[in-house]
Amino acid sequence: MPRVMIAQNILAPNEAIATEVRQALVKCQVRMLNIMSSPGAGKTTLLERTLARLREQVKIGVIEGDIETSADAARIEAAGAETVQINTRGACHLEAHMIRDALTELDLASLDLVIIENIGNLVCPAAWNLGEDLRVVVMSVAEGDDKPAKYPQMFAVAQVLIINKLDLLPHVDYDLEKVKRQVLAINPRLRLFEMSCRTGMGIEAWCAWLTTFSRGEC
Amino acid sequence: MHELAIAQSIVDVVEQRAHECQAARVKAVRIQIGEASGVATDSLTFSFAMLAGCSPILNGARLSVECVPHRARCRHCAQDFAVKDFVLRCPICAEWSTETISGTECQILEMEIE
Repeated sequence: MPRVMIAQNILAPNEAIATEVRQALVKCQVRMLNIMSSPGAGKTTLLERTLARLREQVKIGVIEGDIETSADAARIEAAGAETVQINTRGACHLEAHMIRDALTELDLASLDLVIIENIGNLVCPAAWNLGEDLRVVVMSVAEGDDKPAKYPQMFAVAQVLIINKLDLLPHVDYDLEKVKRQVLAINPRLRLFEMSCRTGMGIEAWCAWLTTFSRGEC
Repeated sequence: MHELAIAQSIVDVVEQRAHECQAARVKAVRIQIGEASGVATDSLTFSFAMLAGCSPILNGARLSVECVPHRARCRHCAQDFAVKDFVLRCPICAEWSTETISGTECQILEMEIE
């Protein structure tokens, strides 16, 4: 029976569009972050705090991904950033074609940085390249300290991990040192930030790093 | 992770290629799925069977999955090793400077036609 070679990456169509997106961003000298987490880890609040701190220094555009509602986009617009809301109406992750389309609604020439807030989901977004420069995972201390071992792919593909809601540590069973050991075992190059978006602890260090990142200095 | 959507992508590509080479039927499809790709091969096989059953050219086609182990190479001692639970520390010299060399594949390799 004749065999026909195919040799095609199953996710090739998304990769091709992600490459298109990257090229468009490089051309405009804009960097892009993809922020991922479980629902409720604090992505939107992190964005609000970041925008409040960096609004004057870094021109940030935001792509908000949610299954339904524009509630998050409204919060980010109120925080002063040009925002595009994507409602996937059921899809549990963002894909490169959605980002390609959303970017046409942002004035890239006036921006230094685009931040994508992905759908709250610790599984699927890890596999979908959006053309970003960097992947950031946000994990809160209220989610249990076994999540890196249970969801390794998400931590393996990220470059930055923000451990959030540290103000809750006295009230939860969470071994912070165990979590740090686990994530670094999966991804030794992961850059860690410990934070409480509520109290402001750790925001300054994150914003300082993000400023140098947006200038292409790291 | 979306095994039904992935199975649909496989069916779409194979149908297109089968049409291009004027195949009457596709009897088998061979794919490669890495251990660290996030794809569940049992679900994928089940989804593929379901979708192939709806395709005149793929009806009854067998999906053969080649699983690729998650392996990494240590930059320090230059040895390859099997990665367990995504932990990337070299078990031979205990260094952390390693890189994945296989296990993230998600590839359609070939098809058998008649």
